[in-house]
Amino acid sequence: MTMELLLFSIALSLAGAFSSLVLRRFETAAKFTATLFGASAALLALGAGFLGIFGLPDTLSFATPFSFASLSLLINPLSGLLIVVINLLALVAWLYGIGYLREYTGKGIGVLGLFMNLFIASMNLVVAADNVFWFLIFFEIMSLASYFLVIFDQKKASIKAGFLYLIMAHVGFFLIMIAFFVMSTFTGSFDFASFRETDFGKSAASLVFVLCFLGFGIKAGMVPLHSWLPKAHPAAPSHVSALMSGAMIKIGIFGILKVGLELLAGSGVELWWGIIVLIMGACSAVLGIAYALAESDIKRLLAYCSVENIGIIFMGVGITFVGVALQMPVIATLGLLAALFHLVNHALFKGLLFLGTGAVIHRTHTRDMGKLGGLVRTMPLTAFCFLIGSLAIAAVPPLNGFASEWFTFQSLISAALASSGIIKAVAAFALVALAITGGLAVLCFVKAFGVSFLGTARSEAAFKATEVPLSMKLPLVLLAVCCVCMGVGAPWVVPVVEGIAASVLIAPGIEAAAGMTLVNPDVGGAISTPLVAVLIVALVALPFLLRAVLARGRQATDSTKEPWACGYVPNTEMPMIAASFAAPAHMFLKPVYVVQAFLAAQQSTFHRLFKSTVKSAEKIEPLPDRYLVDSVTNFTTWLGRKAQAIEGGNVRVYLTYIILALIVLLIITALVGVGGAL
Amino acid sequence: MLILLACLQAALALLAAPLVSGSARWMRAKFQTRKGPPILQDYYDIIKLFKRQDLHTRDSSFIHKLMPALFFGTMMLIFMGVPVITRFSPVTVLADVILLLYLLVLPRFFFALAAIDSGSSYAGVGGIRELLLGVLVEPAMMLALFVTILATGSTNMGEMGMAIGSFATETPVAVALAGVAFACACYIELGKLPFDLAEAEQELQDGPLSEYSGPSLALVKMSMSMKQIIVLSWFVAIFVPFGSALELSLPALALGLGVYLLKMAGLFFVCTIIENVVARVRLSLLGHQTWAVVGIAAMALVLSILGV
Repeated sequence: MTMELLLFSIALSLAGAFSSLVLRRFETAAKFTATLFGASAALLALGAGFLGIFGLPDTLSFATPFSFASLSLLINPLSGLLIVVINLLALVAWLYGIGYLREYTGKGIGVLGLFMNLFIASMNLVVAADNVFWFLIFFEIMSLASYFLVIFDQKKASIKAGFLYLIMAHVGFFLIMIAFFVMSTFTGSFDFASFRETDFGKSAASLVFVLCFLGFGIKAGMVPLHSWLPKAHPAAPSHVSALMSGAMIKIGIFGILKVGLELLAGSGVELWWGIIVLIMGACSAVLGIAYALAESDIKRLLAYCSVENIGIIFMGVGITFVGVALQMPVIATLGLLAALFHLVNHALFKGLLFLGTGAVIHRTHTRDMGKLGGLVRTMPLTAFCFLIGSLAIAAVPPLNGFASEWFTFQSLISAALASSGIIKAVAAFALVALAITGGLAVLCFVKAFGVSFLGTARSEAAFKATEVPLSMKLPLVLLAVCCVCMGVGAPWVVPVVEGIAASVLIAPGIEAAAGMTLVNPDVGGAISTPLVAVLIVALVALPFLLRAVLARGRQATDSTKEPWACGYVPNTEMPMIAASFAAPAHMFLKPVYVVQAFLAAQQSTFHRLFKSTVKSAEKIEPLPDRYLVDSVTNFTTWLGRKAQAIEGGNVRVYLTYIILALIVLLIITALVGVGGAL
Repeated sequence: MLILLACLQAALALLAAPLVSGSARWMRAKFQTRKGPPILQDYYDIIKLFKRQDLHTRDSSFIHKLMPALFFGTMMLIFMGVPVITRFSPVTVLADVILLLYLLVLPRFFFALAAIDSGSSYAGVGGIRELLLGVLVEPAMMLALFVTILATGSTNMGEMGMAIGSFATETPVAVALAGVAFACACYIELGKLPFDLAEAEQELQDGPLSEYSGPSLALVKMSMSMKQIIVLSWFVAIFVPFGSALELSLPALALGLGVYLLKMAGLFFVCTIIENVVARVRLSLLGHQTWAVVGIAAMALVLSILGV
């Protein structure tokens, strides 16, 4: 049943893609067919995902003429969760697109429908694939489809961003491919099922893990491999950005979990894997949010925040590996619960924020926060939903971002309590990083919301903006409600996520929620988000009620006056803008922020230690760009130029490149397949 | 019974809030050899403010009107969970230290938003400073708490206080040092001189509150005093829990209340002295102090890992 639903959904997506392409001359028709097929495909896949979470694992296998390429699919609770996340966002994105795509009339909506359907279908298939060959094929289709979505608006900046994305996606692809081929040389088979039972030995397992961590880390946008993300995500149309930031980068997380915990299950997990993931996560979180704070382009700000949240998810993943390596199943489950819960929550609030931003762009045609302002009066519903999203991402209780970050904190604390010095130190580092991240996230989203939506309108467009149509409001409201429900209703959601985590780890379940409380069963800490929610509403209503009673007959509220502003007459240069936040933050946080002002003045050893850390971090930041990205980019640009001399057109070069890549892939797989057979 | 205690605590904080700010004003006047206002002046002020008209600027939205009530409500909520008279928390699920740290974020978020919302740039600058202070203080608080959690094996304020109160911690030196770091962080969080950057009068004229008036201003002023009470009570509950009631009997509770009031009076006295003998820190130098506190907390962590 599960698999049939998924296959049917894929078929609908393909039909949507095909019909959208055929109807591309009639844009409205193309839009509606693509949306209709896409949305129904998403609904079916949602069903498949939920069945995967709650039902038994379902598998399916097709034989193909090549023995190495038998198409096998598997839906277990983990892939079910990913499918739910992907398709929930896909559903709202389709709905949102009905209104949003009006802006793109005449720019090839039919082609957009084609690639978006392909993109969503390939994401579903990557998550379900249970064979190396098909996993890589679907992964590649996913990257290519999203690449075409990134360059969709054909502006110079997006094409440049798209190219960088294409390169990075393929570097990641290459690393993952090598890792899988290493594994398949051991087993002589391309089926994931065979990997699960094999002991690859310490060194081979570690090699595979590191390759996959880097490869999937690129897809996830982990620091220092994140440079493509803040360029590529904002370039795409906003509902595609929501899908990319909410769903696609999660496939990177999924990949690391799948490789580390499932495929390498036969070889055992090393402790240092967890420590590396934890440290990288902590760095991603702090640096991601610090860079976000410096942005004045609202979509780039959100994209950098994805880097931050990936870091937070990685912290949970790191704890999971530490727990598995040290054979502490409770801590491993707790860490994985935190990671998966934050994965879902991030998809919800990041989707919400990107769609809210899209609504603003739809009305004002600018992404520069300096040109917005005052939108809370002209677009009240969008503003309110954006506020909910901002509160959720800033981890304000009782919303969902807080609930999952609480579990991240608790899993770090549990791991530290249960183990020796090195884990304690690493956990302390991660905790402090998470605390700084929390503080900066508040600053960042007060900025994002305050500068864009509050105060006075700073441009004609912002002044004249109107509320978006219903088809765009509905997705916003839906996601905002989800954010609130997943936070307030966390005690009822957590057992489900905990069940998924336990099934991945093949560990006994833990009691992570009891009644109305969230519990850390290891340490015994407990909180109750529903109680917090009820009390806050009641206690906030209290002063309003009291005033309503006491103020009878007194002067009513007056809100018609100019700001007093210390007696000055306010003018357009005075209001708070994006730079007002960046400047003081920069003062403290330059260059990896936070530490520098302190470092410059102090001379003792302790400070010098900090200094060298910052210096090396500074040096390391552009390194991957210089050596990893630039060299490959330069080489490919050079190759492209050569090819251009022969071919002429840009698109053709890309297509040649893609086909060549696929052919090379086929040849390699065939060779390895033959080698394995011999 | 416990619910009653929680409500009693919240009411206590509410009633004592103007006394805290009033006595600080009175002491400040004495330091400057002025006659100064009576200690109860802030009660009169607040009553008067409640009778005034509530003004909001033309450009402000619902956030400007919501913030005072939200600030007030969150402070009441937090105070319900802090162990005050008793060693244990009246509402256990509200006493998680991480929850508390993040509950403090809620009013801070809206505090800064409301400042921006007012449309006055002076208020906005104050709001941003308030947030920056949060960014700089939180790492120190978190690290100090982490050391204490490692030593007491719990994230619940009540249980942390229990362990420290009965000297049952594994690493007493580290906990003591963490307590020092936490006290420093709490002092910064109080928003008193030299760290009253958000309300720095000469530069910003009451900072983020410059556009508030009437009942809204009264609510925010009370909430700010309540926040000071909360931050100090938090420190007391975890690091100096001695004397608080271990059971729910009337004499124990009475003693607990008396000891608590004494401890708080002492702490506020010390804080006010510090406040009156220092000059305001320059914003750009604020990082020195906060990172020094992180340094102390890091030292505590090293000791904790070494096991002393």
